Amino acid sequence: MQQKSKVVLVGVATFVLLIWALITIIPLYWMIIGSFQDSAASASFNPRFIPDSWSIAPYERFFNKTNAFRWLFNSLFVSGVLTVTNVFLASLAGYAFAKLKFPGNKSVFWILLSTMMIPSQVTLIPLYVLIINIFSLGDTYTAIILPSLVTVGNIFLMKQYMSSLPTSLIHAARIDACSEFGIFYKIILPIAKPGLAVLAIFTFVAQWNEFFWPLLVTRSSSMRTIQVGLASFKFAESTDYGAIMAGATVGALPMIILFFALQKYFLQGITVGAVKG
Amino acid sequence: MARVVFNNVRKEFVDEKKGTFTAVENSEFVIEDKEFVVFVGPSGCGKTTSLRMIAGLERQTSGDIIIGDRIVNDLHPKDRDIAMVFQDYALYPHMTIRENLSFGLKNLKKSKAEIEQQVKQASSILGLDELLERKPRELSGGQRQRVAVGRAIVRNPQVFLFDEPLSNLDAKLRIQMRVELAELHKRLGATIVYVTHDQVEAMTLGERIVVMSNGIIQQIAPPTELYNKPNNMFVAGFIGSPAMNFMDATIENGKAFVEGAQIALPQAVADGLKSYEGKKIIVGIRPEHLYGEEFAHTVSKEHTMDVTVQVIENLGADNLLYFKVGSRMVTARVHPETIARLGERKRLVIDISKLHFFDPETTQRIALS
Repeated sequence: MQQKSKVVLVGVATFVLLIWALITIIPLYWMIIGSFQDSAASASFNPRFIPDSWSIAPYERFFNKTNAFRWLFNSLFVSGVLTVTNVFLASLAGYAFAKLKFPGNKSVFWILLSTMMIPSQVTLIPLYVLIINIFSLGDTYTAIILPSLVTVGNIFLMKQYMSSLPTSLIHAARIDACSEFGIFYKIILPIAKPGLAVLAIFTFVAQWNEFFWPLLVTRSSSMRTIQVGLASFKFAESTDYGAIMAGATVGALPMIILFFALQKYFLQGITVGAVKG
Repeated sequence: MARVVFNNVRKEFVDEKKGTFTAVENSEFVIEDKEFVVFVGPSGCGKTTSLRMIAGLERQTSGDIIIGDRIVNDLHPKDRDIAMVFQDYALYPHMTIRENLSFGLKNLKKSKAEIEQQVKQASSILGLDELLERKPRELSGGQRQRVAVGRAIVRNPQVFLFDEPLSNLDAKLRIQMRVELAELHKRLGATIVYVTHDQVEAMTLGERIVVMSNGIIQQIAPPTELYNKPNNMFVAGFIGSPAMNFMDATIENGKAFVEGAQIALPQAVADGLKSYEGKKIIVGIRPEHLYGEEFAHTVSKEHTMDVTVQVIENLGADNLLYFKVGSRMVTARVHPETIARLGERKRLVIDISKLHFFDPETTQRIALS
């Protein structure tokens, strides 16, 4: 009886997941198919799931008519820099909060954590005023990068991860005449690699997909990231759906490749900090 | 090598919720040069905190700690010339055994030749030669243990600190490592401070044992003295396995009256207990000092007690008989051929030369002059 109900449960779960997978995959499929068709077919009200003809013309138009290579470079640069800064600063802060004794350790951590409760929309305008009006950094890489050098979410993630590392290693290194930064650099960082890899991947993906802040602080086409570039392209060439789909595919492709290449880290990322050990 | 001195050392921890907690209370002792001293006590008694204060991993709230000729209160662990072996070994998992052994020496900026020589020496003492290029995860528990000891040896420190180093090993390996540690001490002639909650480890390894409870040192003495002359009921109950039996008694006319027995005391003992005449007292006797009457050389009725056996445990070499005296459960460790049946009366002989007497109010040993 129990066996039977288990089979039913697995069947229902599989069905629901299958539907959910279809809902997720169809737009992606539509995007990729659309990127190989002319604009009229892409925007058709009577869509064909298997197109009659294939063409790379939308890709040619996308790369010829826009600053696409520059946008891709910008995205890569911004995401790359922010990944490095987030991994370095969040792991340093996480280590300090998890393993070092200093006055105000707990209260500073809780203050930081409480800032996560403030919706980003609330801080957007003051941040904009600070970066654009006061620091006059409009339309620069610094403007895109500065506010996200390290995020509280990442510090929290690292604090949880570092807490699970054995403190006796730190004590052993301290007795072994290692400096405090040496302990972090020579002992903690190497053994925290799985956690750092997860952090790096999640940060890179989040920054690659970031849209609103780069849109706010950039004006010129050459400073746009791929996501912002795609949006502006849409408004300028509102009828060329084929090229838009090609651009969207180009924008999404690195993330899709990244996901399949580093699948195990994505899955690990869901449980980081949740389990001790 | 060097001696270690605690001068009125106290350690308090401040917890936001629980308030101030005293882990070590005004601790005073001297560990002599080349001595092997074991700290023993139940969990939370302050033994590991004491060790960590010697290492410099915890700062004492008050008092002085001296290693060799120096007061080390404000010295960083690396400057105290100590080495420590941790309970979980604390080997650096991403380094090979060779790198683990040489890590401390590299940090001390020793020459390559010296590092090479020290690592070679330590690995040959501990039989690690074949393992030097392996990672810790490729080693068994016993091998990891040896590497942890090796990491301490290469430093050639003044004092070795061991924090429950055998507690993660299985029973057989623990006995083997215990013997190896004792041999190592002889070979190195080092000052060793060793923390354990296992009284067998303490008795077999320590030249002197520091028994702690609730942050207070209960007694510092060589193993045989702790066993034969425990300062108080805590030490008496903690050292020895099975634990010492305690029985409520009244002293009258040179006899100790306990339930089921009137024990005639030797004259010297009776004289020593004169001030307790007519008063309550606690009598202590170790399980191995109670015998089945068939195995006693001489049986005097005044040195026996009749009991009802409630549980019998057969250990092979001995039998443990459990019975009640008053409200207290008492154990006798008897010869395996002793005749005893569950629920039946049994006459046991008491070795009166091995009796201990404690004041029920202070729980301290009553000194018999």
